[in-house]
Amino acid sequence: QRTPSLPSPQTTIMAVEFDGGVVIGADSRTTTGSYIANRVTDKLTPVHDRIFCCRSGSAADTQAVADAVAYQLAFHSVELEEPPRVRTAARLFQQSCYRYREELSAGIIVAGWDPRRGGQVYVVPMGGLLLRQPFAVGGSGSSYIYGFLDATFQPGMTRSQCQEFVARALALAMVRDGSSGGVIRLAAITEEGVERTVLAGSDLP
Amino acid sequence: MADKPRPPPLRQAGGVEIRRRRRNRGVTKMEAGAAAPPPLWSGGPAPGEVFIPRGSGIGAGPGRRTLSPMVTGTSVLGLKFSGGVILAADTVGSYGSLARFRGISRLLKVNDSTVLGASGDLADFQHLRQLLEQMVIDEELLGDGHSYSPRALHSWLTRLLYNRRSKINPLWNSVLIAGVYGGESFLGYVDMLGVAYEAPSLATGFGAYLAQPLLRAALERDRLPSREEARELLERCLRVLYYRDARSFNRYEVAVVTEQGVELEGPLTLEANWDIAHAVR
Repeated sequence: QRTPSLPSPQTTIMAVEFDGGVVIGADSRTTTGSYIANRVTDKLTPVHDRIFCCRSGSAADTQAVADAVAYQLAFHSVELEEPPRVRTAARLFQQSCYRYREELSAGIIVAGWDPRRGGQVYVVPMGGLLLRQPFAVGGSGSSYIYGFLDATFQPGMTRSQCQEFVARALALAMVRDGSSGGVIRLAAITEEGVERTVLAGSDLP
Repeated sequence: MADKPRPPPLRQAGGVEIRRRRRNRGVTKMEAGAAAPPPLWSGGPAPGEVFIPRGSGIGAGPGRRTLSPMVTGTSVLGLKFSGGVILAADTVGSYGSLARFRGISRLLKVNDSTVLGASGDLADFQHLRQLLEQMVIDEELLGDGHSYSPRALHSWLTRLLYNRRSKINPLWNSVLIAGVYGGESFLGYVDMLGVAYEAPSLATGFGAYLAQPLLRAALERDRLPSREEARELLERCLRVLYYRDARSFNRYEVAVVTEQGVELEGPLTLEANWDIAHAVR
């Protein structure tokens, strides 16, 4: 039985929280085997105004789950009459990822800002565990930068420090991981809104 | 109504004919009044048909994935002392060989008389934690002053895990339950197969091979160890496991249960002794 090999983002994704919001980042490469199907992918997916998810694993699986969660969150926030909590979004992801753990291949980082707890980063790795962390990395490229992250991360960084930290880490991963590359997409999520930047070519640290 | 023309049989290289299988197996040949009986129920065996059971967990989807733990915790140790029970576990969640999450608590205080420590898949442990927390809430709502005893929880957990295993959908955990109830201390083990037993000292995972002998040696005397002795012994066992278990970590938590209640300590750091490195050339 022949099935076409599906494009799957082997990626590097990352999120760091700071006082007042979060900075998230991802590379932009989607590969089908060793062919780069999309070199300018956007892996930072909004599920609500101030809540994003970074997707790694199977493109189809993560898009499907993200769409479902975005729908549920939209409904929930209308009922609640206030912006949903980041933790709620993470829990919704976790419920799908845990229930269908045998069928899905999805590693997701949920990051955002809500009025109650500020910036938060939650990670839902494969298997469906839910964990809050000050920073999180995922995807195939993350293996190459654990050392760098352990050595460089300090709690209490400012927004610009976080952005620099994420950009450097992603750049290092993209250099070494064949499945990650392209441009670095960054987004800073705060109370004011979402500010997106793209670092390309010579802008890469 | 004309029957759909049957597609021509395919021929394989060896000249063997293959019939394409019809999707709708309920209604087959339409010759001269002979009709196969409709299936008695859907999704199950039908008379005369080959039945391949599709369990809920055995690679039910694409068939390439088997039930396997993802983020796992390693050993949990338990020891009775005179006055209560102690559990200890390190705080790492391993993603294969990667020590991915280094601040996970694997010890859960269930109520004032019981603590639970789990090794194995941590997503399943989180699910178990939610079930237990809801159970404890429901029971508190009854307001009759009773709370689950450690023995009752052990029994319930055994039933739960055995039932899940019988549906080929296990919760991939080995769990230690420790508690003091009615003046008696309790230490029990349940694992993902539903195997359950009690003993004065227990360990899961690597600990069963490395730590149990040390724990049992301490229990061979005519009296149970004191609280300090037990605490020191568990720390020693954790150190041995840190030396020899490649999936362990040097940060750990301890839970002590006595008549007075549950005390959770941690995360603490283990000091390792590498002096022998200098003695070896």
